[in-house]
Amino acid sequence: MAINREPQDFLFLSQILGKNIVGATGDTLGRVYDLTTEFVEPYPIVTGIIFSSAQKKNPMFLPWKDVIDINKDISVSIKSISEITTLYLRQGELLLKDTLLDKQVVDTDGAKIRRVNDLQFLKAHHGLYLVHVDVGFRGLIRRVGVTKTFDAIMNALFDYKLPDQLIPWKFTQPLHSADLLRLNIAQNRIGQIHPADLADILEDLDIKQRSVLFQALDVETAAETLEETDPKVQVSLINDLNSAKASDIIEEMSLSEAADLLGDLPKAKADVILQEMEKDIADDVKELLTHPEREAGGMMTTSYLSFRPSTSVREALDRFRQEAADVDLVYYVYVTDEDERLLGVISLRDLILAEEDKRLEELMDERVISVKLDDKDDIIAEHFAKYAVTAIPVVDENERMQGTIIFKNLLEVVAPHLGQ
Amino acid sequence: MLQNGLWKLGLFFAFIGPGIITSNVDNDAGGITTYSLAGAQYGLRLLWILIPVTVALIIIQEMCARMGVVSGKGLSDLIRERFGAKITFYLMIILFLANMGNTLSEFAGIAASMELFGISKYISVPAGAFFVWLLIVKGNYKSVEKAFLVACVFYLSYIISGFLVHPDWSAIKTATFTPTLKFDTGMLTMAIGIIGTTIAPWMQFYLQSSIVDKGLKAESYKYARMDVIFGSITVNVVAFFIIMLCAVTLFQNGLKIETAKDAAVALAPLAGVYCSWLFAFGLLNASLFAASILPLSTAYTICEAFGWESSLNSKFVEAPQFYGLYSLMIFLGAGFILLPNVPLIAIMYYSQVINGLLLPFILIFMLLLINDKRIMGNYVNSRLMNIVSWATVVILNVLSLAMVVSAFF
Repeated sequence: MAINREPQDFLFLSQILGKNIVGATGDTLGRVYDLTTEFVEPYPIVTGIIFSSAQKKNPMFLPWKDVIDINKDISVSIKSISEITTLYLRQGELLLKDTLLDKQVVDTDGAKIRRVNDLQFLKAHHGLYLVHVDVGFRGLIRRVGVTKTFDAIMNALFDYKLPDQLIPWKFTQPLHSADLLRLNIAQNRIGQIHPADLADILEDLDIKQRSVLFQALDVETAAETLEETDPKVQVSLINDLNSAKASDIIEEMSLSEAADLLGDLPKAKADVILQEMEKDIADDVKELLTHPEREAGGMMTTSYLSFRPSTSVREALDRFRQEAADVDLVYYVYVTDEDERLLGVISLRDLILAEEDKRLEELMDERVISVKLDDKDDIIAEHFAKYAVTAIPVVDENERMQGTIIFKNLLEVVAPHLGQ
Repeated sequence: MLQNGLWKLGLFFAFIGPGIITSNVDNDAGGITTYSLAGAQYGLRLLWILIPVTVALIIIQEMCARMGVVSGKGLSDLIRERFGAKITFYLMIILFLANMGNTLSEFAGIAASMELFGISKYISVPAGAFFVWLLIVKGNYKSVEKAFLVACVFYLSYIISGFLVHPDWSAIKTATFTPTLKFDTGMLTMAIGIIGTTIAPWMQFYLQSSIVDKGLKAESYKYARMDVIFGSITVNVVAFFIIMLCAVTLFQNGLKIETAKDAAVALAPLAGVYCSWLFAFGLLNASLFAASILPLSTAYTICEAFGWESSLNSKFVEAPQFYGLYSLMIFLGAGFILLPNVPLIAIMYYSQVINGLLLPFILIFMLLLINDKRIMGNYVNSRLMNIVSWATVVILNVLSLAMVVSAFF
C-alpha cells in the first residue's frame, strides 16, 4: 500500500500557530489563529484553520481539505479571501487552542493535573491527528520561542538535552470545556483512575472544574470518589447537585460515610436529600445520624449480615451470595437471637471452609468482643489494637446488636487528629 | 434576630483572613522605612495621601477578591489561560526578581531590628530564615493562617507608640484632610514611594490565591469584600501612625534619618525607650511576617502559572519546583544579607523599580480579565466601577512609570 510508505512527521501546535497562509496565486491570505478539531477516537482530527486576515475584521474559517501542504507557510488551494466561508462549529467540533492550550488536563495514567504547554500532531494520510499533549518545561520554552538558546545553555552547562514530556492523548482528560468532558467520559477515561486518586484530583481543582468533573462521573464512581474526599469538599460538591442526583449518589455510599456526609450538610438540604432516598436506606442513615461522630454509634454501619443460631451453613452462604453485594461489612457474619442479642461471630473464612450441613451455633465464636453505643474513639481504637479484628460489633445496654464498626471508619474519624 | 446577627458575625470571622493578612504584609520592612522617611522628612504634610491610597487599594483588591471568588482560580492561572505562555513566562521572571528583592529587604529588616536589641545579624538572620522555613514546611494552612493573624495584632505596637508621644491631634486632623503637594522632586518621589509600597504586584497574586484556597462561593462574596475593605483600612491606619510618630518627633526636632533602624534609634531620646522598642519590635514582626509570605506566595504563583505541583501537603520529590523556589528565595534572601558590604540601599531601590515596572502590566491584565464575560459571567465590572478602576489604574501606572524614570535620572 502506497499510503503506508508516506512519511510520518510530528509537529507541534506552536509551530503551526502564526504561520502564513498562502493562496494558490501566491498571495498571503492571513495568519493561523486556531485549529478546529473533531474529537473522534482514537485521535482527534484537525478539520480546519481559523485565521485572521488583514482585510477582514472577523476571524475566517478554512476547511482542512483546501490545505495543500504545510512547510514554512501553509499553502492552500483557495485563490482569494472572497471564496472563504464563515465559521460554524459542527457537533463534536472544538477550537483547539481555545479549549486546550494553556489549560489544565488530567493525566489519567499518572493521576495528576497538568497544564498543557503544547500539542503534538502526527501528519499522516494528508491529515493532522492530535496524538500527544506536551506538559514539559521544554514545551513551555518552545512556546516562549527560545528553544535554541535554551538547548545551547543546557548543553554547555550540563551536557544534557532536556527531553519533551509528552502524554499520549488517550491518557488525557481535558477539563476546560464541559462539552469535551462529557464527550470523553463516554470513553471512560476518568474511570481508569482509582477513586482515591480521583478524590485528590478533585481537591486540587478549582470549585468550578471540580463540580463539572464530579457531575460527569457515573453514580457509582461518584459515590466511591466522594467517600475518599475531604468533608469540606464533599459538602460543596453535594451542594451543587440537585437533591435527586445527590440522593442517588449518597445511596451508593457506605451507610456510615453517608451519615457523616449528611451530618455535615446544612439541615434543610440534608432533609430534602433524605426524603428523596429509598426509605429503608434513609431510615438507617437517620438512625446513625442521632449518634455523635466520635462515638461508636456515629462510626458504625448498620449494613451487615446476621443469622439465627439454627441456620445451616448452606442457608447462610446462599443468603450471603444474594445480599453481600449491597452490604458494607462482609468479612464477618454475626449470630443473634430473636431479640437481636449478639451470641457469636463467624469469619468469612470459617464460613466458607465449614461443612455445608453444620449449623452456625456449632461454628460461631462465642467470645465475641463488642463495644457500647456511646464508647469513645480511643476505647474503640484500643479494642482494635488488642484483639486484631477488622470490625467490632456495637450493642446497646441490653446487649442487642445495633451495628458494626469497620476499621476503615474508625481510621477516618481518628486520622485527622493524629500527630497533633 | 440576635441569633441572625451573631451568625453573620460568625460568618464574617470564618471568611476573614486573606484580605487582612495581605494588607498587613504590605506594611513590611520596605513600607515601614518609607513611612518613617516620609514622616521624618516632610512632617505631617504627606498624611493626606493615605486617604486616596486607601481608596485605590480597596478598588484593586476588591477586583482581585471578586475574580478569586467567581473564577475559583488564582491570578497567574487566569493570566496564563487568557494571555498565553510567552507573556506569562516573562511576567513570572520579572515577578520572581521583584519578589526576590522584596524578600531581601525583609531579611534586612530582621537584621536591623534585632541589632537594636543588641543581637548580631549573623545570629538573627539565620534564625529568622530557619523560623520562616519551619513555619511553612512543618505547619499546615490553618495553623499558618492563625500565626499570621496573630502577627497582624502586633501591628498595634505602632498605634500604641503613636499615643505614647501625645501628639497635637488638631494639627494632625488638619493635615490629614488638606492635601498639600509641592512640586519638588523629593516630595513627589516620596509620595510615589508611599503609593508604590502600599500597592505592590505580589499582593494581587497572594490575595487572589488565598481567597481561592478558602473555597468561597459567589454567594458569600460580600464577606470577602468586607475582609478586603477592613484590611485596606487597617493597613493605612498603621501607616498613618508611623508617619505621624516620625513627624511629631523626628521632623519637629529636625533629625535626618535614612532607614527605619535610624528612626527607632532616634526615637529613644525624644519619645522614651519604650516607644523606640515598640517601634523596633513592630519592624521585626513586619519583616518576619513578610519574609514568611513573600517566598511562599512567589512559589505558589509561579508553579500555578507553569502547571507544577504546588502544595504544602506534598513531599519534596512530588513538588520539587515548589519547594525548590521557596527554599531558594529564603536561602538567597538571608544569604545576601550576611555577605559583607552588601549595597543594601541600592538593592532595595532597584527592587522598588522592578515593582514599579511590573505593576502597570498586572493592573491592566486584571482589568482585562475582570471584564471578560467568559471568566466573570455576571460579575464583570459595572460601567461606574470600570470608570473608577481605569482611572485609578491609569493614575497608578503614570506614577509607577514616573518612579521608574526618575530612578534613571
